[in-house]
Amino acid sequence: MNFDAIIIGGGIHGSATAYYLSKAGMKTLVLEKDYVGRHASGVNAGGVRLLGRDFAEVPLSKEAMSRWQTLDDELEGDTGFRRRSLINIAIDDADMSTIKTRITKLTGLGYDHEIQIDQQELRERLPHAAHNCVGGVVSEQDGYAIPYKATSAFRRAAERFGATFHEGETLANLRQIGDAWQVRTDKASYDTGTLINCSGAWADKTAMMMGDNTPLSYSAPMLMITARMPHFAGPVVGAISRQLSFKQFENGTVLIGGGAKGFADRDNNRTTLDYKKLALAAETTKTFFPIMKTAVINRMWAGLEAYMPDNLPVIGAGVNARNAYHAFGFSAHGFQLGPVVGDVLAQLITTGKTSFDLNPFRIDRFERKVL
Amino acid sequence: MSDIFDIVIIGAGPAGMSAALEAAQQGASVAVLDRKATPGGQIYRDVTQSPLLDPSVLGSEYTEGAELVEAFMEADIDRHQNADVWHIGETGEVLYSQDNQTRRLVARELIISPGAMERPFPIEGWHLPGVMTAGSAQVMLKSDGMVKDGAIFAGTGPLLYLIVAQYLRLGVTVNAVVDTTPAGGVVRAMQYIGGALRKPAYLIKGLMLLNEIHRAGVPIFRHASNLSVLGESKSVGLQFEQDGRTHSVNADHIFLHQGVIPNLNMTRALGIEHHWAEQQLCWTPTLDDWGQSSIPHIAVVGDAAGIQGAEAARHAGRLAALKAMNKLGKLSEASLQQQSSDHLRAMKSFKAFRSFLDAYYAPTPEHRIPAASNTLACRCEEQTMGQLRAGFEQGAKDPNALKALTRCGMGPCQGRQCGHTVSELLAVWQNKPVSDIGYYRLRSPQRLLSVDELSQFQNIKPAKKPAEVSA
Amino acid sequence: MFRSLRKPETQSVSININGQMVQVAEGSSLWAAMALHGETQTRLALVSGQQRSAYCAMGVCFECLVEVNGVPNQQACLTTVEEGMHVCSQDLTEQSIAALHQKESADHE
Repeated sequence: MNFDAIIIGGGIHGSATAYYLSKAGMKTLVLEKDYVGRHASGVNAGGVRLLGRDFAEVPLSKEAMSRWQTLDDELEGDTGFRRRSLINIAIDDADMSTIKTRITKLTGLGYDHEIQIDQQELRERLPHAAHNCVGGVVSEQDGYAIPYKATSAFRRAAERFGATFHEGETLANLRQIGDAWQVRTDKASYDTGTLINCSGAWADKTAMMMGDNTPLSYSAPMLMITARMPHFAGPVVGAISRQLSFKQFENGTVLIGGGAKGFADRDNNRTTLDYKKLALAAETTKTFFPIMKTAVINRMWAGLEAYMPDNLPVIGAGVNARNAYHAFGFSAHGFQLGPVVGDVLAQLITTGKTSFDLNPFRIDRFERKVL
Repeated sequence: MSDIFDIVIIGAGPAGMSAALEAAQQGASVAVLDRKATPGGQIYRDVTQSPLLDPSVLGSEYTEGAELVEAFMEADIDRHQNADVWHIGETGEVLYSQDNQTRRLVARELIISPGAMERPFPIEGWHLPGVMTAGSAQVMLKSDGMVKDGAIFAGTGPLLYLIVAQYLRLGVTVNAVVDTTPAGGVVRAMQYIGGALRKPAYLIKGLMLLNEIHRAGVPIFRHASNLSVLGESKSVGLQFEQDGRTHSVNADHIFLHQGVIPNLNMTRALGIEHHWAEQQLCWTPTLDDWGQSSIPHIAVVGDAAGIQGAEAARHAGRLAALKAMNKLGKLSEASLQQQSSDHLRAMKSFKAFRSFLDAYYAPTPEHRIPAASNTLACRCEEQTMGQLRAGFEQGAKDPNALKALTRCGMGPCQGRQCGHTVSELLAVWQNKPVSDIGYYRLRSPQRLLSVDELSQFQNIKPAKKPAEVSA
Repeated sequence: MFRSLRKPETQSVSININGQMVQVAEGSSLWAAMALHGETQTRLALVSGQQRSAYCAMGVCFECLVEVNGVPNQQACLTTVEEGMHVCSQDLTEQSIAALHQKESADHE
């Protein structure tokens, strides 16, 4: 079978890329070895965060953030997005000056989305925060979405434009023949003009088959969620100098993250948890929010996520093959970028250019470095 | 005393207690963790301290458990009651809550017997106050001597008749028995009659129970179908069909039952291999004759290993203990074979008998797989069959995808009350065998765990010392 | 109404159920203690807010979640009564708003 574009990986970036490509009229196939949204895209913390982004990511993240505000309409679906604002709490003067320094730098670059707040305003916005919190920084447009729903909304929107999704089909082999690609899976064989690697924690394997090496590592960021709590926190909450990260969803459940990693067994699609680290996250949460003492954990889990050495993703064209593109290695903060990365790739593929500076995200950026 | 044991057993029902006794007898260091305040499991619940004046009304199958419990209490075993296991690590680390604290011990070999639970009975109105399970009636009777007059008992399976008979012996009134065992049960089960004839006493007991209920004048509606609970905010009665006619019987309390299935959250969270058992219509851990699971140091015994009943569980427990001793290098292969043979033979005859029972009391599809779109499939998150169907049509074909899309199975029961329904619904909708559909990916904790308790994990406590244990 | 067939010589303890002090048999499950005093409502359904009551009485359905000594989400059927225990039916739904406890806040000044 012939396609204009084949995407390896049915996570949020694969599904979003399929949406933008098929909308642009390309006949697109997504190959997903498990099911769409099975891994990091379906089980992440759902944070839609612009606050605290690496400067290199700010332009993409800002664009993504404005798209999230109307994404449900665009996709004619339900991503579960709620604009709630995100506050990173400061617990001392050092934190407050960290915030100030960053905002000064952002202002210099022409960005005004991060705003410092004082203790009184923090109390107004988060009345249940412990009283030793001295202030914080807020980004108003931030919020959360429901990961599986968002990924699935992109997939269904892509299907409405004619994209095909094959679940339970694993990539076996890639060959570039002339300018085109032959894609062989455990079930069938396809020809395509363009190949896109959105393989998440497995992206180094796909990249290698495409001729590009990449120093990807993978891990298992852990999460836990409580049974419903009475509503006590509207904004999504983080901290400047502590591993605090939680959000209370509209349904009352509280999702606690914080970046602690469990153990990843990539070959078997499995992760195991490190309770000591989860315990620390529980401790931090109840210290900042004493109301959480009475919360009960209902579920704990970890997803399989790809990390790059500089914690920045790979986005853009391949370097050792023609008509090859990558979008992976989002290092546990790629979910928010979903609505923009797919479009950037689609622009690159259909017009050969994009208005964003993708140099920080080149796949060969590590080649000259000693890691 | 260290907190490392040769054999750690989870669950002190007939399987767990028998395993512990065998292991202790063979000279192993043994710890038993049990969630309840007293050993006995569900079947022998409070058998040595019954709240009833005359526990013999509960039948000899209950009272004969006392001997096992007493032997268990006297043996050289570290017994930990009120010990609620919330995590078992692949290495053999066991974490459990006791007095709102997490404690830990380590097992060289693990024998787990988390027991059975009643099969979900997803009919219209099954979530209403006043609707409980027949098993709950027995639990309340055994533990608290608590009964409910004027209830309806509805469904199928031997336990249903047993509890009704127990109620009647105690002078508790029963409004009606609505029996959903479909006609032709005997014909269906006939191919297994050989197995049934190996346990004639059980067959006769079953018939005697029915006879006892009949003689007491309780209306019995046989071959009933299409059950639904009446009532808006609580149960006011049960509606059903019999011989093409619709009946409704008033009652503010209804006890439902359609057999039991393995309580599999622990075995699933461990990542033990499971399969769909066609005969029992449930997910079951895949095990060898000694209960050995796909994880080398873990055995599963008792009804969690597939429903076999209390007597079979005793043999299964012994077998797993013998095998564990063999794996520990404390029992030779020859001794293992020799000491196992009687138990293996007994297990075989129980299995044959079970085939007959399973065929006779097979729960009908209409009471397992809801057809009405407004019937709740997931009680916790209040997801109806219709909402699940919509999720399926949006592309969620896997139980985990459906869970992520609809929240079905995300509530406090962690899928216990909807997991089987979801597997079967997805199988029917895709016209696939249930075995191709799979089940929820489950994880620890296997029950709600307080943030406060988890946060103290840094200073995790070892198991209580034997002196504290016996207190 | 549920009734008890418990033998008469049983010791009792006093507990507070939804504001009422009652005598219950020592060693009772909390669910039985509640049910015998007509307090069969355990929690509210989390989405619709409808009343719920115990279903399985053996720890697998989580319908009998109640607040024990101020801590919500305790399984009444698995809890043994203790002298002086305070029990409340749980009214938590996904619409509940947390009250701001001044005392708790003051503790952290």
